[in-house]
Order: sequence, then C-alpha cells, then structure tokens
Amino acid sequence: MTIFKGTLEVTDPIGLHARPASQIVKVVKLAGLPVKMGRDAKSLVVANSPLQLMALKVKSGETLQVTVDAADEAEAMKLVEDIQALLRG
Amino acid sequence: MSTTLNGIGVGQDAVVAEVLQVLPIVDLPKWSLSSLDAEAESDILNSAVRQVEQELKSNAKNSSGETSEIFEALAELLTDSALMGPAAVQLELGWSAAAAYGIAVNEFCEIFSDDPEFQERAQDLQDLSRRVQAAIAGVNLDLELPSTGNLILVGQDFSPSDTAKFGSNIVGVITVLGGPTSHTSIICRSRGIPALVGAGLAGNLVSGSQVLLDPLGNRAVVDGRIEDATPALSFTAVRDLPRIEVRANIGSVADSKQAKVTSANGVGLLRTELLYLSRKSVPPLEEQISDYAEIFHEAPRGPLTVRTLDPEGDKRVAFLPLPSSNEIKNYRVLELHREFLELQLQAIAVAGEQTGREIWVMAPQIGSAQEALDFAALAKKFTFSKVGVMVEQLSLIDEIPKLAGKIDFLSVGTNDLAQNIFGINRMTTSNPELLDPWNPRFVETLGKIATSGKAAKLTLSVCGEVAANPAFAIRLAELGYDSVSVAPTAVASVTNALRS
Repeated sequence: MTIFKGTLEVTDPIGLHARPASQIVKVVKLAGLPVKMGRDAKSLVVANSPLQLMALKVKSGETLQVTVDAADEAEAMKLVEDIQALLRG
Repeated sequence: MSTTLNGIGVGQDAVVAEVLQVLPIVDLPKWSLSSLDAEAESDILNSAVRQVEQELKSNAKNSSGETSEIFEALAELLTDSALMGPAAVQLELGWSAAAAYGIAVNEFCEIFSDDPEFQERAQDLQDLSRRVQAAIAGVNLDLELPSTGNLILVGQDFSPSDTAKFGSNIVGVITVLGGPTSHTSIICRSRGIPALVGAGLAGNLVSGSQVLLDPLGNRAVVDGRIEDATPALSFTAVRDLPRIEVRANIGSVADSKQAKVTSANGVGLLRTELLYLSRKSVPPLEEQISDYAEIFHEAPRGPLTVRTLDPEGDKRVAFLPLPSSNEIKNYRVLELHREFLELQLQAIAVAGEQTGREIWVMAPQIGSAQEALDFAALAKKFTFSKVGVMVEQLSLIDEIPKLAGKIDFLSVGTNDLAQNIFGINRMTTSNPELLDPWNPRFVETLGKIATSGKAAKLTLSVCGEVAANPAFAIRLAELGYDSVSVAPTAVASVTNALRS
C-alpha cells in the first residue's frame, strides 16, 4: 500500500457540514481504504467520523489536504474525486 | 400600533394565521451518578441510541431529497465514535447513561462555541442529546400538535424530527434561533412552509393571536392583515418582447439543453470552468473544441457569451494553480496562465465557426483598463463577434471611460461585485441586509457602471444572481443595461416582468 496525496476544494456554500461529512464517511467506508483529511499535512484526521470532519470547522472556499492509503493510484484518485464531488454543495 | 418582529424570512408566500407557542422543551431528569456499574449503564445507553437511530432512519425513509439526507446524516452523528468514545469514558467515571451522553455532546459542542457560523451544528447535536436522554427516561419528546385549524408554530427552534411531524395544518413557522442555512430553514423551504427564523422576540407572541407571517418582508406582524404583506410582485405582460434581452447562464450541455426550451435569447454567461473541475491537466485543444461545440450546438438561438476560465471563481480548477498568496484577486492570475488562455480562446473560436454561432468572449476578474486591453489584444488574434470583460472589481469601474472603442461590451458579475463593495462573504448570516440587491450603495454602483459604460458606447449586461429577481431586472433595464442573464429556471419569470 502507498499513501497518495490530493487536495480538496470546499465550495459548498455552507462549508463542510453534517450532510457532506456523513456522506464522505460513507464513501470512505465503502471503499475500505484508510483516508485522512485536514487543513495541513501535519494535522490530518481519520475520515471515519463525520463529527471529527465537522470539528475541522471548514468554511466555503477552503482547501483541504487528503491522503489515501491504497494499492494503486487510480483507485486512490477515484476516491479523492468522489470526496471532492461531495464538497461542492 | 401593531407589534412587528424582525427575522430572516424563508419562502415567498405570506400567511395570516393563529400562532401556537410550542412550550419550551420538556424537562429531562437531572444528570446523576449511577448506582449500577458501567457495563449496565453502557447497555442502557446503547439501547437508547439504537431507539433514536431507528426513529431517525424511519424519518429518512419517510421523506425525500435534502430532508431525507439530513436525517441520514443525523443518524450517523448520533453513533459517531467521537461521541460514543467520550461517553464511555464518562460511564467509567460513574455517570449514568443519560449524563454520559449529555456530557460527551456538551464537550463536543465546545469546539463550535467560538464561531457563530457553527452554532446551528451545535444545536443539531444538542437535539440528538435530548432525544437520547428522553429515550432513557422514557419521556416522549414528540411535539403534540393539533391536527386541525391553520397554525403558525412558534418556538425556540424546531429539530428536523419536529419539522417532519408538521401536518398540512401547519401553515407557518417562527423560531427564535436559526439562520438561513439551518436545518429548519432548509426543510421549511423544501416543504413550502413559510418561516421566519432568527426572530429574537418570538417568545413574546401569545398563543391564539392572529399574526401575519411575511417572509419577503423578513417580519411577522401581530394583527397584521394579508394585504400588508410585502408583495411577491406579479407582473402583467403588455408587450410582445421584453424591454431588454434575457439570456441564460449555463455551465454544461445539460444546462444548454434546458436553456433551449426557454425563451432565452442566447447565452449571457457560459462558465467554462464548470466543464473542467475534475481535470488534473490542461484539456487539449481538440477536446476543448468538441466540448464547446457540443454546448454551442444545443444552446438557445442568439449570441453566446463565453467567459474564459475563472481560476479564482468559487469553483477551482486544478490545472490552473493560484499563486501562493490568496491576496491576488484579479486578472493577474490569468496572466500567469496566458498560454492556457490563448489555447482556450482558439478552441472557442473554432467551436463557434464549426457550429456557425455568434460568439462573444469575455474575461473574468479584470482589475484595470490595461488588463482589459491585454485581453482584447489576445482575443483579436481570433474571430469573435464581440469581445468584452466582466465588471466585478471596484478598481475597474473608474477606468471604464478608457475602454471606449477598445472593447465591445461589459458584463457585471453582481455576486463578486457586492462582496467587493461590502467586504463580505455571500454566506454571511450576520448582515443579511448587505446582501439585499436593493441596498442603495449597490444600486448606485450598478448605476455608475451603466452611465460610464453607455458613455463609452459599450453594450451592457448583468449576469449575476440579482438579475433573476424579476423586479430588480426591471430596475436594471431602467439603469440602462441592454441585457440580463439568468439561470434557465428564471428566464420565464424575468422575461414576463420585463414584458410588463
């Protein structure tokens, strides 16, 4: 497994709120891959708890770092894209 | 004189009805230390959480769309390890199940306490906490609502679970708390129930009194009459054609098709960045040509205005990175991507030629006359019917006279413009009056742009959200704008108003 990195743009006008947070956790669980998210590489939280994601207090217009531990890059990037889609609002 | 309550209106339709104060929340037992062991309390907590989870899931099943998604999300939050973990710690410390969950939620809500924008999320969690505690105590928290009459419900706030129970006799909602994006607002909007949220004085309303709920006026009036409601203006069309052109704002082939079945005269804004949000690398020329051509082919008849990629719009494009400083907020950013800009202009021109459409191009975020001239020089390498720029930066406004004879049109992006005038974010809840298009400073700025644009003999358009407000579109026509461009869904109402 390799750790792949990506960035996410939060464009949902309400920021990272309850609905997208729980939907992100759902797709992460479905993919079965360890995913971490946060404002900078040093303070990432594991994306298995919607509350931890909400606690980042992310507002619209912010950029987040994401890492995915996966066997291949395509799989990791697909998951990053799926997460990104949920942050558009 | 009648009493007026101010708040934030949700919905369009005013209503007059009897108000019913929903009593402040049922008292829950005080938190106590347990006489059982942690394991027994843990069983009590788990079974209460499961019960609440079932209720939320069944609410999700019985609703649709956003409302259903909200319940799904709440069910996830309820059992989140970030609550259950700390609650287990409290159980070990000897607290009873209800106290343990309550303390865990309180601790978590601390995180949100320093920022008013997150208060609504803390309220959602507190509601979950109350539900769990009520399940443990065997208390019914459900609102006991009469099923007859026409009622405007008044309360501190209503949880999504409460809102789900509103029958057709609930014709309005007034809450002390809540903002335009709180769950109460979203659900009321989707169910078509007019509401006034954030009405601090709602507690003073007396059950049984008649109240006018006037969402468009952001107020409720005791003993108000329906005739006093802020009118949702209706317009009677008296001319065959609108006073100024109405075009459509689009961002995809689907939008293009949707716009085609409206009366839109062409496209006033094609946001090209929406096509490439998921692209990691620059889309090659051929790909861009075929993307644009497909959209042009489907678009409503009339001129098609294409905006070059806005690397700084609210939707970011991966292959046009921004400089590290977020302060640079104008065309200088596009300047960094000049090569891409030229490629894009070429693709737009070729696609226009292939489809035989009349193409106008414009650049976003222009901050000075010099930048506008640079863009025009680049665009003139290709063939376009008209070349223009967006007016969203305040610094461009004074330089409009210098554009005479150099470019063909201006298109005002009112969302960014308003934010630049007032120095605010569009989602702000603290100063909703600043987002009101009728704010005199905003109208004055639009008037100034129109006056200097006319003097410079430029064609003038407004492509921001405010143009979708039918009454405001008429004001824009009066100010001298030649066209407005709005979402396909707003074309009909705006056209109708402009025919009045």
